[in-house]
Amino acid sequence: MTEFLSTLPGGIVTGAVYALLAMGLVFTYKATRVPNFAYGALAALVAFFHYSLVTGRHVSFHLNVLFVHLNPGWTVRLPFWGAVFASLAFAAVAGLVIERFIMRPFARAPMVTHILVTLGLMLLVSALAQQWFGANDLIVPNDQAIFPRTSAFALGSVKVSWEQVGVIGLVLAFGAALYWFFRYTETGLAIRAAATDRDVASLQGVSVRRLSLISWVGGTMTAGLAGIMLASLVVSSNPSTLVLLSIKGFAAAIVGGMVSFPIGVVAGFAIGIAGEIIRHYAAHANSTIFVGADEIVTLGAVVVVLALRPKWIFKGIREDEDAGVLARSAGVDLAIGRWIDPVEAYRLWRASTGGLISPAVWTWVKRVFPFVLGALALVFPFLPLPEFWTFPLNLAFIYLLVVLSYVVLVGWLGQISLALGAFIAVGGAGAAIGANTLHLPFPLPILTGVLLSIPVSVLVGLPALRLRGLHFAVVTLAFALVAERAIAPHFVGTANVLVKPSYLSSDRPLYYVFLVLTAATFAFAARISRTKTGRAFRAVRDSETVAAAYGIQPTRTKLTGFVVSGAIAALAGTMVAYELGSVQTGYASVLFSITWLAYAVVAGITSLAGPLIAAVLWGLLPALSQGEVHAAKISHWPEVSAAGLLILIMAFNPQGLASMARFLRTRVSAHEEEPDEDLRAIEAAASEERPKVGAPA
Amino acid sequence: MILEIQDVELAFGGVHALDGATFGIDEGQIVGVIGPNGAGKTTLFDCISGFRRPDAGRIVYEGADLVSRPAHDRVALGIGRLFQQAKLWPSVSVRDIIRTAQHRSLKAGFFRSVLGIGGAAAEERRAARNADEALELVGLSAHADKPAMELSTGMLRLCEIAAIVSVRPRLLLLDEPSSGIAQKETEALLPLLRRLRDTLDATVLVIEHDMPLVMGLADRIVAMAEGRVIADGTPAQVQVHPEVLQSYLGTRAVPA
Repeated sequence: MTEFLSTLPGGIVTGAVYALLAMGLVFTYKATRVPNFAYGALAALVAFFHYSLVTGRHVSFHLNVLFVHLNPGWTVRLPFWGAVFASLAFAAVAGLVIERFIMRPFARAPMVTHILVTLGLMLLVSALAQQWFGANDLIVPNDQAIFPRTSAFALGSVKVSWEQVGVIGLVLAFGAALYWFFRYTETGLAIRAAATDRDVASLQGVSVRRLSLISWVGGTMTAGLAGIMLASLVVSSNPSTLVLLSIKGFAAAIVGGMVSFPIGVVAGFAIGIAGEIIRHYAAHANSTIFVGADEIVTLGAVVVVLALRPKWIFKGIREDEDAGVLARSAGVDLAIGRWIDPVEAYRLWRASTGGLISPAVWTWVKRVFPFVLGALALVFPFLPLPEFWTFPLNLAFIYLLVVLSYVVLVGWLGQISLALGAFIAVGGAGAAIGANTLHLPFPLPILTGVLLSIPVSVLVGLPALRLRGLHFAVVTLAFALVAERAIAPHFVGTANVLVKPSYLSSDRPLYYVFLVLTAATFAFAARISRTKTGRAFRAVRDSETVAAAYGIQPTRTKLTGFVVSGAIAALAGTMVAYELGSVQTGYASVLFSITWLAYAVVAGITSLAGPLIAAVLWGLLPALSQGEVHAAKISHWPEVSAAGLLILIMAFNPQGLASMARFLRTRVSAHEEEPDEDLRAIEAAASEERPKVGAPA
Repeated sequence: MILEIQDVELAFGGVHALDGATFGIDEGQIVGVIGPNGAGKTTLFDCISGFRRPDAGRIVYEGADLVSRPAHDRVALGIGRLFQQAKLWPSVSVRDIIRTAQHRSLKAGFFRSVLGIGGAAAEERRAARNADEALELVGLSAHADKPAMELSTGMLRLCEIAAIVSVRPRLLLLDEPSSGIAQKETEALLPLLRRLRDTLDATVLVIEHDMPLVMGLADRIVAMAEGRVIADGTPAQVQVHPEVLQSYLGTRAVPA
């Protein structure tokens, strides 16, 4: 009993931070209807800013103009609470900049755009945090803890530290202040009104834009406060651990339907306390089997709650979750369209120039291109290329499949899943089981890896696919975190090196194995896209209701897509295992999944050309340009550039780079045709207004 | 009787959208459903096509009760639905919309259809042919490669009609085919809908506010108000029915 009680203070205090994170998320969501996936990254950024001020940050710059040579440098060091205020001011500015320059154009964008944009923001912020503050762990020593770590009092044998008391007190005070804000201030009331119905609220004179600004500033400051406390509580952290920890805050917020403060707070405490208790007993069980058991239980519970679909969760659900995700109509709905409507601009450009390439030429190019590419790929290893090229080339195949997996699920089916890394781990594990445990001869372990992904997809997909949009994304995120923390560790590392035949020990034979596998998978995917399954995918993506009206079962279609996409990712996982010996943590991680989602969207998420562009730009080029010399130095520019491009592309054209090709080839057609008499009358009459297809009713 | 609506009731909270609606339709008829806003016409269509489940009553289609069947099953039974606001997949091309609409008539499973074996390729070709024929029928062939979002409201309507035609329904539910399109188009719609019935040999149930259109089109008119049927007969009979006039104008007709 005492042992059980001794875990409580730690659990309550972690729970308090999750509750704080949940409150900040609900705050932003209520006012703007944006689920802020960048929240944890912002928390990490502010925490790092804060502790660099506390330990002292050297600021310097060089100025060398004509005769002026300046090189001033000074060290900024602030006392702890002074740094807290400076950091919160920094957070406020960050929130302001993000709202004004990134989020505002997306005010009326559909949910999926919001998810993608805030994911891009998350990559951007966490990459910046690492760029500025280094990849080293942030260690908070005792003299820099937010409150002294000395024992405050003891209840029986349970010791409670000042740090724990202080953090709980701060969170409670913050909760009370928030309650007061929403209850008694005019702005709070306006946010509540906007949360119920934005249009009605703005008709009543509420400035939705001002609310958005307030909520981003307030939300980022909350995130910063939570980040500072979390960094102090966990003692040692880095940006990615803080981002992952904040997923728990997200889980708590979503249990409260993203709009309920009380449910979010209770869920935050529950997740914190349950996790701490399970972690404590798992550590005592002295068996590696229990690694990550706390993640499985807490996030599993969140998934179960979501899958049960209690009414309160869906009270705050956005109506537009059925609208076409990457449908270009989404582009029309973006606020930026009021200044420059991308669709309209595109149409005008096309009408005036008639396109650059004639459709006949384009069709021919498209038909010949795969063969040219295939022939090139066949002779590639025999070209006189530097030795170090072979390894990145093999990895490029893996990236091709990773992006293809996203094309199927996100681009064609419109479901944003963040569990890609989990399926890579599953594929690697399946291959290891096939080769090491079942002692199967060479090609078969690949099959076991792919086959293993099917029951996993069904198991995760069945509950998850009852949900849509945001909820689906969060459930897959929870699964990804479980896979990263609790499943992958058992299959990663030197203990699980895949047994492979000796003829596959060098890169060249593997190159051809990968080439065959990748080509076959792409051919398979191309066939899906052209036949009834692919059409059903797009129908479900654009509108589940209309799909059902034409006899397409949405759930079954989504499950098919989830299984196919999971199998492709698992195939990539088996390839990782064959190339590197086993699946490394990097590939199985949530961050890997999110990063490659950003690459995939930027390169073109609806097209088979997308994977090619992404694999070359972000898989091959960085590896080749760094070469042998710089291989050890990790640059964040791929992530930063892709995240920035992602946000830009969402603003201008949700179909990504690959659609630029279509942009070049399309010719004007409407003006050349002679519609029959009957239709011309209809057209003339209807041309007055443009329909808003797929817009929420 | 192809369809019988028997005492169907459905309430949203305290609002009785359908309050014992009852009528039947004979095979091959064009039946117009009229009534003021809130009469329960669209709700009735939702019940027939399976998007809403009535609280009470039966919907008998070709002798079997439909109430417990899911929406996507009813398509297979031959019930096609045209929505009040043309609802289609915005980013899908017109030709692919019509092919997608035939999903249910393509029997091949996932692997057979992807690999194009066991008759799957022939099915795909049939679907493509049906699509071209349907587009020809409504005169949209020239726009086959455009995504739906580039079409005008009137063309979307035509596209939707083509999608429904391609699945060869036996019962066609048209919810305000003239809504959102201009007067001129409405005039073009009448011969098109007639041609449709003749080509498909289908029974048509049509909700319409445009009186000249519905009176010219329908063999029979069912007038609804407050979730019930208040008049049922030929267009000429219903036009002078006192309760119909009252529900539209709020006064009893003064006998001339």
